Amino acid sequence: MFEMLARSLLIQGSWNYRTMQGAGVGFALIPVLKRLHRDDPDALARAVRRHVGFYNGHPYLSTVAIAALARMEGEEADAEEIDRFKRALVSPLGSLGDRLVWARWRPLTLLLAALLYLAGAAWWVAASAFLLLYNVVHLKLRVWGLRLGWREGRAVGRVLIGSPLRRLPDRLTIPLAAIAGGLLPLMALSVSQSNGLAPLPAVGSAVGLAAIGAWRPALAGRLAAFGILLFSLGFVILGQIAW
Amino acid sequence: MVARPIVVAPVTGLLLGEPQAGMLAGVLLEILSLHQLPIGANRHWDTGPAAVAAAVAMVAVRGPVGLVVAGGAGVLIGWLGSWSVHGLRHLNARLVVVDEGPGLRPASLTARHLAAIALDFARAVTLTLLAVWVVLRGTEGIAGAPAEAGWVAALVAAALGGLALGADVRMVAGGRRVWTAFGIGSVLSTIVWVWLH
Repeated sequence: MFEMLARSLLIQGSWNYRTMQGAGVGFALIPVLKRLHRDDPDALARAVRRHVGFYNGHPYLSTVAIAALARMEGEEADAEEIDRFKRALVSPLGSLGDRLVWARWRPLTLLLAALLYLAGAAWWVAASAFLLLYNVVHLKLRVWGLRLGWREGRAVGRVLIGSPLRRLPDRLTIPLAAIAGGLLPLMALSVSQSNGLAPLPAVGSAVGLAAIGAWRPALAGRLAAFGILLFSLGFVILGQIAW
Repeated sequence: MVARPIVVAPVTGLLLGEPQAGMLAGVLLEILSLHQLPIGANRHWDTGPAAVAAAVAMVAVRGPVGLVVAGGAGVLIGWLGSWSVHGLRHLNARLVVVDEGPGLRPASLTARHLAAIALDFARAVTLTLLAVWVVLRGTEGIAGAPAEAGWVAALVAAALGGLALGADVRMVAGGRRVWTAFGIGSVLSTIVWVWLH
Protein backbone atom coordinates (compact mmCIF):
# COMPACT_ATOMS: atom_id res chain seq x y z
CA MET A 1 0.00 0.00 0.00
CA PHE A 2 2.80 2.41 0.93
CA GLU A 3 4.53 1.72 -2.38
CA MET A 4 1.31 2.51 -4.29
CA LEU A 5 0.92 5.73 -2.28
CA ALA A 6 4.52 6.78 -3.02
CA ARG A 7 4.14 5.98 -6.73
CA SER A 8 0.86 7.91 -6.88
CA LEU A 9 2.90 11.07 -6.19
CA LEU A 10 4.42 10.61 -9.68
CA ILE A 11 1.15 9.84 -11.46
CA GLN A 12 1.38 12.96 -13.67
CA GLY A 13 5.03 12.33 -14.60
CA SER A 14 4.22 11.19 -18.14
CA TRP A 15 1.01 13.22 -18.67
CA ASN A 16 0.17 13.28 -22.39
CA TYR A 17 -2.69 14.26 -24.71
CA ARG A 18 -3.61 10.65 -25.65
CA THR A 19 -3.89 8.65 -22.43
CA MET A 20 -3.33 11.59 -20.06
CA GLN A 21 -2.47 9.96 -16.67
CA GLY A 22 -2.87 6.42 -18.06
CA ALA A 23 0.81 5.45 -17.90
CA GLY A 24 1.00 6.95 -14.39
CA VAL A 25 -1.81 4.67 -13.21
CA GLY A 26 -0.01 1.64 -14.65
CA PHE A 27 3.24 2.78 -13.02
CA ALA A 28 1.53 3.10 -9.61
CA LEU A 29 -0.05 -0.36 -9.91
CA ILE A 30 3.17 -2.22 -10.80
CA PRO A 31 3.98 -3.38 -7.20
CA VAL A 32 0.51 -4.94 -6.79
CA LEU A 33 0.53 -6.49 -10.25
CA LYS A 34 3.97 -8.01 -9.62
CA ARG A 35 2.67 -9.60 -6.42
CA LEU A 36 -0.46 -10.98 -8.09
CA HIS A 37 1.34 -12.39 -11.14
CA ARG A 38 4.75 -13.25 -9.69
CA ASP A 39 4.90 -16.70 -11.37
CA ASP A 40 3.68 -15.69 -14.83
CA PRO A 41 5.63 -12.96 -16.66
CA ASP A 42 3.23 -13.03 -19.64
CA ALA A 43 0.18 -12.55 -17.41
CA LEU A 44 2.03 -9.72 -15.65
CA ALA A 45 2.79 -8.00 -18.99
CA ARG A 46 -0.87 -8.34 -20.03
CA ALA A 47 -2.00 -6.93 -16.67
CA VAL A 48 0.31 -3.90 -16.99
CA ARG A 49 -1.00 -3.35 -20.53
CA ARG A 50 -4.60 -3.39 -19.21
CA HIS A 51 -3.93 -0.43 -16.91
CA VAL A 52 -2.10 2.05 -19.15
CA GLY A 53 -5.18 3.13 -21.13
CA PHE A 54 -6.89 6.51 -20.84
CA TYR A 55 -7.34 7.95 -17.34
CA ASN A 56 -7.49 11.54 -16.11
CA GLY A 57 -8.82 12.24 -12.63
CA HIS A 58 -7.60 14.68 -10.01
CA PRO A 59 -4.03 13.59 -9.14
CA TYR A 60 -4.59 13.64 -5.36
CA LEU A 61 -7.73 11.51 -5.60
CA SER A 62 -6.09 9.13 -8.08
CA THR A 63 -5.40 6.87 -5.10
CA VAL A 64 -9.14 6.08 -5.01
CA ALA A 65 -8.94 4.68 -8.55
CA ILE A 66 -5.55 3.02 -8.08
CA ALA A 67 -6.58 1.14 -4.92
CA ALA A 68 -9.95 0.12 -6.38
CA LEU A 69 -8.20 -1.12 -9.54
CA ALA A 70 -5.71 -3.10 -7.44
CA ARG A 71 -8.60 -4.79 -5.68
CA MET A 72 -10.41 -5.49 -8.97
CA GLU A 73 -7.22 -6.99 -10.38
CA GLY A 74 -7.08 -9.30 -7.35
CA GLU A 75 -10.69 -10.29 -8.08
CA GLU A 76 -9.68 -11.06 -11.70
CA ALA A 77 -11.89 -8.43 -13.38
CA ASP A 78 -11.59 -8.49 -17.19
CA ALA A 79 -9.93 -5.77 -19.30
CA GLU A 80 -13.23 -4.36 -20.57
CA GLU A 81 -14.66 -3.95 -17.08
CA ILE A 82 -11.45 -2.28 -15.86
CA ASP A 83 -11.53 0.18 -18.76
CA ARG A 84 -15.23 0.96 -18.17
CA PHE A 85 -14.60 1.44 -14.45
CA LYS A 86 -11.68 3.83 -15.03
CA ARG A 87 -13.67 5.94 -17.49
CA ALA A 88 -16.62 6.06 -15.10
CA LEU A 89 -14.42 7.40 -12.29
CA VAL A 90 -12.83 10.22 -14.34
CA SER A 91 -15.69 12.71 -13.96
CA PRO A 92 -16.57 12.29 -10.25
CA LEU A 93 -12.93 12.23 -9.10
CA GLY A 94 -12.01 15.08 -11.44
CA SER A 95 -14.84 17.40 -10.47
CA LEU A 96 -14.53 16.73 -6.74
CA GLY A 97 -10.75 17.23 -6.71
CA ASP A 98 -10.82 20.28 -8.99
CA ARG A 99 -13.45 22.06 -6.90
CA LEU A 100 -11.97 21.10 -3.55
CA VAL A 101 -8.23 21.43 -4.19
CA TRP A 102 -7.56 23.61 -7.24
CA ALA A 103 -10.47 26.04 -6.78
CA ARG A 104 -10.59 26.27 -2.97
CA TRP A 105 -7.85 24.75 -0.83
CA ARG A 106 -4.86 25.85 -2.92
CA PRO A 107 -5.98 29.50 -3.40
CA LEU A 108 -7.05 29.69 0.24
CA THR A 109 -3.69 28.51 1.62
CA LEU A 110 -1.70 30.60 -0.89
CA LEU A 111 -3.63 33.79 -0.14
CA LEU A 112 -3.42 33.10 3.60
CA ALA A 113 0.37 32.81 3.32
CA ALA A 114 0.50 36.06 1.31
CA LEU A 115 -1.75 37.76 3.89
CA LEU A 116 0.48 36.56 6.74
CA TYR A 117 3.56 37.97 5.01
CA LEU A 118 2.03 41.35 4.18
CA ALA A 119 0.66 41.57 7.73
CA GLY A 120 4.21 41.36 9.05
CA ALA A 121 5.16 37.67 9.41
CA ALA A 122 8.66 36.60 8.39
CA TRP A 123 8.90 35.26 4.80
CA TRP A 124 9.86 31.80 5.98
CA VAL A 125 6.89 31.66 8.38
CA ALA A 126 4.49 32.49 5.52
CA ALA A 127 6.09 30.03 3.07
CA SER A 128 6.23 27.26 5.71
CA ALA A 129 2.62 27.91 6.73
CA PHE A 130 1.55 27.39 3.12
CA LEU A 131 3.61 24.22 2.66
CA LEU A 132 2.42 22.73 5.95
CA LEU A 133 -1.28 23.62 5.69
CA TYR A 134 -1.57 22.68 2.04
CA ASN A 135 0.29 19.39 2.25
CA VAL A 136 -1.43 18.12 5.39
CA VAL A 137 -4.71 18.12 3.47
CA HIS A 138 -3.03 16.96 0.25
CA LEU A 139 -1.47 13.88 1.88
CA LYS A 140 -4.57 13.16 3.96
CA LEU A 141 -6.65 13.12 0.75
CA ARG A 142 -4.26 10.64 -0.87
CA VAL A 143 -4.31 8.29 2.14
CA TRP A 144 -8.11 8.62 2.49
CA GLY A 145 -8.51 7.78 -1.21
CA LEU A 146 -6.24 4.74 -0.96
CA ARG A 147 -8.17 3.33 1.99
CA LEU A 148 -11.55 4.09 0.42
CA GLY A 149 -10.64 2.54 -2.94
CA TRP A 150 -9.21 -0.60 -1.32
CA ARG A 151 -12.21 -1.01 1.00
CA GLU A 152 -14.94 -0.42 -1.58
CA GLY A 153 -13.37 -1.75 -4.78
CA ARG A 154 -15.72 -1.44 -7.76
CA ALA A 155 -18.45 0.08 -5.51
CA VAL A 156 -16.33 3.16 -4.78
CA GLY A 157 -18.30 5.37 -7.19
CA ARG A 158 -21.49 4.93 -5.16
CA VAL A 159 -19.67 5.84 -1.92
CA LEU A 160 -18.16 8.95 -3.54
CA ILE A 161 -21.62 10.30 -4.38
CA GLY A 162 -22.53 10.42 -0.67
CA SER A 163 -19.10 11.57 0.50
CA PRO A 164 -19.03 14.56 2.91
CA LEU A 165 -16.08 15.89 0.87
CA ARG A 166 -18.57 17.03 -1.78
CA ARG A 167 -19.91 19.74 0.56
CA LEU A 168 -16.48 20.95 1.69
CA PRO A 169 -15.75 23.31 -1.28
CA ASP A 170 -18.88 25.36 -0.49
CA ARG A 171 -17.80 25.69 3.15
CA LEU A 172 -14.37 26.99 2.13
CA THR A 173 -15.77 29.69 -0.17
CA ILE A 174 -16.49 32.35 2.48
CA PRO A 175 -13.10 32.02 4.27
CA LEU A 176 -11.38 32.19 0.87
CA ALA A 177 -13.24 35.40 -0.05
CA ALA A 178 -12.53 36.98 3.36
CA ILE A 179 -8.80 36.21 3.09
CA ALA A 180 -8.66 37.60 -0.48
CA GLY A 181 -10.49 40.70 0.72
CA GLY A 182 -8.00 41.11 3.57
CA LEU A 183 -5.11 40.79 1.16
CA LEU A 184 -6.32 43.49 -1.25
CA PRO A 185 -5.68 46.65 0.89
CA LEU A 186 -2.54 45.16 2.46
CA MET A 187 -1.05 44.58 -0.99
CA ALA A 188 -1.81 48.16 -2.08
CA LEU A 189 -0.64 49.66 1.22
CA SER A 190 2.64 47.75 1.29
CA VAL A 191 3.40 48.75 -2.32
CA SER A 192 2.59 52.42 -1.65
CA GLN A 193 4.54 52.45 1.62
CA SER A 194 7.69 51.18 -0.09
CA ASN A 195 7.79 54.24 -2.33
CA GLY A 196 6.26 57.06 -0.32
CA LEU A 197 3.10 57.00 -2.47
CA ALA A 198 -0.03 58.21 -0.64
CA PRO A 199 -2.08 55.20 0.55
CA LEU A 200 -5.41 56.46 -0.81
CA PRO A 201 -4.64 56.34 -4.57
CA ALA A 202 -2.99 52.93 -4.22
CA VAL A 203 -5.87 51.41 -2.23
CA GLY A 204 -8.48 53.20 -4.34
CA SER A 205 -7.06 51.94 -7.63
CA ALA A 206 -6.68 48.41 -6.25
CA VAL A 207 -10.29 48.32 -4.97
CA GLY A 208 -11.66 49.91 -8.15
CA LEU A 209 -9.90 47.50 -10.45
CA ALA A 210 -10.77 44.52 -8.21
CA ALA A 211 -14.42 45.42 -8.84
CA ILE A 212 -13.76 45.42 -12.60
CA GLY A 213 -11.91 42.09 -12.20
CA ALA A 214 -14.94 40.61 -10.46
CA TRP A 215 -17.23 41.90 -13.20
CA ARG A 216 -15.28 40.40 -16.13
CA PRO A 217 -12.95 37.80 -14.56
CA ALA A 218 -11.71 35.95 -17.66
CA LEU A 219 -10.83 39.18 -19.47
CA ALA A 220 -9.45 40.82 -16.30
CA GLY A 221 -7.07 37.94 -15.55
CA ARG A 222 -5.56 38.22 -19.03
CA LEU A 223 -5.57 42.02 -18.89
CA ALA A 224 -3.67 42.09 -15.57
CA ALA A 225 -1.02 39.71 -16.92
CA PHE A 226 -0.73 41.54 -20.25
CA GLY A 227 -0.72 44.93 -18.51
CA ILE A 228 2.11 44.09 -16.14
CA LEU A 229 4.08 42.57 -19.02
CA LEU A 230 3.58 45.74 -21.06
CA PHE A 231 4.60 48.09 -18.22
CA SER A 232 7.65 45.99 -17.39
CA LEU A 233 8.72 46.07 -21.06
CA GLY A 234 8.26 49.83 -20.96
CA PHE A 235 10.52 50.11 -17.91
CA VAL A 236 13.12 47.82 -19.53
CA ILE A 237 13.17 49.98 -22.69
CA LEU A 238 13.32 53.23 -20.68
CA GLY A 239 16.12 51.73 -18.57
CA GLN A 240 18.14 50.94 -21.68
CA ILE A 241 17.72 54.31 -23.39
CA ALA A 242 16.95 56.98 -20.76
CA TRP A 243 18.00 56.12 -17.18
CA MET B 1 3.65 22.20 -4.25
CA VAL B 2 7.19 23.44 -3.62
CA ALA B 3 7.15 24.99 -7.12
CA ARG B 4 4.67 27.73 -6.15
CA PRO B 5 5.97 31.33 -6.42
CA ILE B 6 5.35 31.92 -2.69
CA VAL B 7 7.99 29.24 -1.95
CA VAL B 8 10.35 29.39 -4.95
CA ALA B 9 10.65 33.19 -5.14
CA PRO B 10 11.78 33.82 -1.50
CA VAL B 11 14.15 30.84 -1.68
CA THR B 12 15.65 32.29 -4.88
CA GLY B 13 15.82 35.65 -3.10
CA LEU B 14 17.56 33.97 -0.16
CA LEU B 15 20.17 32.50 -2.52
CA LEU B 16 20.74 36.03 -3.85
CA GLY B 17 20.85 37.48 -0.32
CA GLU B 18 17.39 39.14 -0.36
CA PRO B 19 14.57 36.78 0.63
CA GLN B 20 12.16 39.67 1.42
CA ALA B 21 12.46 41.02 -2.13
CA GLY B 22 11.92 37.52 -3.49
CA MET B 23 8.84 37.07 -1.32
CA LEU B 24 7.25 40.30 -2.59
CA ALA B 25 7.75 39.13 -6.18
CA GLY B 26 6.32 35.74 -5.20
CA VAL B 27 3.17 37.30 -3.69
CA LEU B 28 2.53 39.39 -6.82
CA LEU B 29 3.07 36.40 -9.11
CA GLU B 30 0.71 34.26 -6.99
CA ILE B 31 -2.01 36.89 -7.32
CA LEU B 32 -1.43 37.13 -11.09
CA SER B 33 -1.41 33.36 -11.61
CA LEU B 34 -4.05 32.18 -9.14
CA HIS B 35 -6.76 31.86 -11.76
CA GLN B 36 -4.60 29.47 -13.80
CA LEU B 37 -6.18 26.20 -12.72
CA PRO B 38 -4.61 22.90 -13.89
CA ILE B 39 -7.99 21.41 -14.81
CA GLY B 40 -8.27 18.70 -17.47
CA ALA B 41 -5.89 19.34 -20.36
CA ASN B 42 -5.70 23.08 -19.61
CA ARG B 43 -2.38 24.71 -20.60
CA HIS B 44 -1.48 26.64 -17.47
CA TRP B 45 1.60 28.72 -16.59
CA ASP B 46 4.72 26.94 -15.36
CA THR B 47 5.07 28.89 -12.12
CA GLY B 48 8.40 27.40 -10.91
CA PRO B 49 10.75 28.90 -13.53
CA ALA B 50 8.48 31.99 -13.62
CA ALA B 51 9.03 32.54 -9.88
CA VAL B 52 12.82 32.25 -10.26
CA ALA B 53 12.71 34.85 -13.07
CA ALA B 54 10.51 37.16 -10.99
CA ALA B 55 12.75 36.93 -7.91
CA VAL B 56 15.92 37.56 -9.95
CA ALA B 57 14.28 40.61 -11.57
CA MET B 58 13.12 41.94 -8.19
CA VAL B 59 16.57 41.60 -6.63
CA ALA B 60 18.26 43.10 -9.71
CA VAL B 61 16.01 46.18 -9.98
CA ARG B 62 14.46 46.63 -6.47
CA GLY B 63 11.61 48.91 -5.38
CA PRO B 64 8.21 49.25 -7.10
CA VAL B 65 9.84 49.33 -10.56
CA GLY B 66 11.50 46.03 -9.64
CA LEU B 67 8.12 44.63 -8.58
CA VAL B 68 6.50 45.49 -11.92
CA VAL B 69 9.47 44.10 -13.87
CA ALA B 70 9.35 40.97 -11.66
CA GLY B 71 5.65 40.56 -12.47
CA GLY B 72 6.34 40.99 -16.19
CA ALA B 73 9.25 38.53 -16.14
CA GLY B 74 7.09 36.02 -14.24
CA VAL B 75 4.21 36.33 -16.70
CA LEU B 76 6.51 35.99 -19.73
CA ILE B 77 8.41 32.95 -18.43
CA GLY B 78 5.24 31.35 -17.04
CA TRP B 79 3.62 31.68 -20.46
CA LEU B 80 6.69 30.34 -22.30
CA GLY B 81 6.72 27.50 -19.75
CA SER B 82 3.13 26.62 -20.57
CA TRP B 83 4.09 26.16 -24.23
CA SER B 84 7.14 24.06 -23.34
CA VAL B 85 4.87 21.82 -21.22
CA HIS B 86 2.47 21.60 -24.18
CA GLY B 87 5.33 20.36 -26.40
CA LEU B 88 6.45 17.88 -23.75
CA ARG B 89 2.93 16.46 -23.48
CA HIS B 90 3.03 15.63 -27.22
CA LEU B 91 6.49 14.08 -26.79
CA ASN B 92 5.24 12.03 -23.81
CA ALA B 93 2.49 10.56 -25.98
CA ARG B 94 5.16 9.12 -28.27
CA LEU B 95 7.20 7.94 -25.31
CA VAL B 96 4.63 6.18 -23.13
CA VAL B 97 1.59 5.32 -25.26
CA VAL B 98 1.91 1.72 -26.45
CA ASP B 99 -0.47 0.74 -29.25
CA GLU B 100 1.13 -2.52 -30.36
CA GLY B 101 1.20 -5.96 -28.68
CA PRO B 102 -0.88 -7.69 -26.03
CA GLY B 103 1.51 -6.97 -23.13
CA LEU B 104 3.86 -4.41 -21.62
CA ARG B 105 6.73 -5.37 -19.33
CA PRO B 106 6.81 -3.47 -15.99
CA ALA B 107 10.47 -2.55 -16.54
CA SER B 108 9.59 -1.00 -19.90
CA LEU B 109 6.73 1.08 -18.45
CA THR B 110 8.91 2.19 -15.52
CA ALA B 111 11.72 3.24 -17.87
CA ARG B 112 9.32 5.19 -20.13
CA HIS B 113 7.58 6.89 -17.21
CA LEU B 114 10.85 7.88 -15.49
CA ALA B 115 12.27 9.08 -18.83
CA ALA B 116 9.27 11.42 -19.17
CA ILE B 117 9.94 12.79 -15.67
CA ALA B 118 13.64 13.28 -16.53
CA LEU B 119 12.65 15.14 -19.72
CA ASP B 120 10.36 17.43 -17.72
CA PHE B 121 13.19 18.12 -15.27
CA ALA B 122 15.56 18.97 -18.14
CA ARG B 123 12.89 21.22 -19.69
CA ALA B 124 12.36 23.12 -16.42
CA VAL B 125 16.11 23.54 -15.78
CA THR B 126 16.70 24.80 -19.34
CA LEU B 127 13.79 27.23 -19.11
CA THR B 128 14.97 28.50 -15.71
CA LEU B 129 18.52 29.11 -16.93
CA LEU B 130 17.21 30.85 -20.04
CA ALA B 131 14.89 32.96 -17.86
CA VAL B 132 17.71 34.06 -15.54
CA TRP B 133 19.87 35.03 -18.53
CA VAL B 134 17.04 37.00 -20.19
CA VAL B 135 16.17 38.81 -16.93
CA LEU B 136 19.78 39.72 -16.14
CA ARG B 137 20.30 41.05 -19.68
CA GLY B 138 16.98 42.89 -19.74
CA THR B 139 17.35 44.61 -16.37
CA GLU B 140 20.76 46.18 -17.00
CA GLY B 141 20.39 49.91 -16.46
CA ILE B 142 16.94 49.94 -14.81
CA ALA B 143 18.25 50.15 -11.24
CA GLY B 144 18.78 53.90 -11.63
CA ALA B 145 15.11 54.67 -12.31
CA PRO B 146 13.91 58.16 -11.21
CA ALA B 147 11.46 58.60 -8.31
CA GLU B 148 8.56 59.39 -10.67
CA ALA B 149 8.96 55.95 -12.27
CA GLY B 150 8.68 54.45 -8.76
CA TRP B 151 5.32 56.17 -8.14
CA VAL B 152 3.96 55.01 -11.48
CA ALA B 153 5.20 51.48 -10.82
CA ALA B 154 3.65 51.41 -7.31
CA LEU B 155 0.30 52.51 -8.71
CA VAL B 156 0.52 49.97 -11.57
CA ALA B 157 1.42 47.10 -9.19
CA ALA B 158 -1.43 47.97 -6.79
CA ALA B 159 -4.00 48.45 -9.57
CA LEU B 160 -3.13 45.38 -11.65
CA GLY B 161 -2.75 43.29 -8.49
CA GLY B 162 -6.27 44.40 -7.50
CA LEU B 163 -7.60 43.60 -10.98
CA ALA B 164 -6.12 40.09 -10.84
CA LEU B 165 -7.31 39.47 -7.27
CA GLY B 166 -10.90 40.47 -8.12
CA ALA B 167 -10.78 38.11 -11.12
CA ASP B 168 -9.22 35.32 -9.00
CA VAL B 169 -12.04 35.41 -6.45
CA ARG B 170 -14.77 35.66 -9.10
CA MET B 171 -13.27 32.74 -11.07
CA VAL B 172 -13.45 30.37 -8.10
CA ALA B 173 -16.54 31.73 -6.33
CA GLY B 174 -19.34 34.27 -6.66
CA GLY B 175 -22.53 35.56 -5.06
CA ARG B 176 -23.55 38.20 -2.52
CA ARG B 177 -22.23 36.30 0.54
CA VAL B 178 -18.82 35.99 -1.12
CA TRP B 179 -18.51 39.71 -1.79
CA THR B 180 -19.77 40.54 1.69
CA ALA B 181 -17.01 38.35 3.13
CA PHE B 182 -14.53 39.98 0.74
CA GLY B 183 -15.59 43.45 1.93
CA ILE B 184 -15.42 42.51 5.62
CA GLY B 185 -11.94 41.07 5.07
CA SER B 186 -10.82 44.29 3.35
CA VAL B 187 -12.15 46.56 6.11
CA LEU B 188 -10.71 44.42 8.91
CA SER B 189 -7.23 44.21 7.37
CA THR B 190 -7.22 47.99 6.71
CA ILE B 191 -8.13 48.66 10.37
CA VAL B 192 -5.37 46.29 11.54
CA TRP B 193 -2.85 47.92 9.19
CA VAL B 194 -3.74 51.46 10.35
CA TRP B 195 -3.57 50.34 13.98
CA LEU B 196 -0.15 48.72 13.45
CA HIS B 197 1.26 51.74 11.60
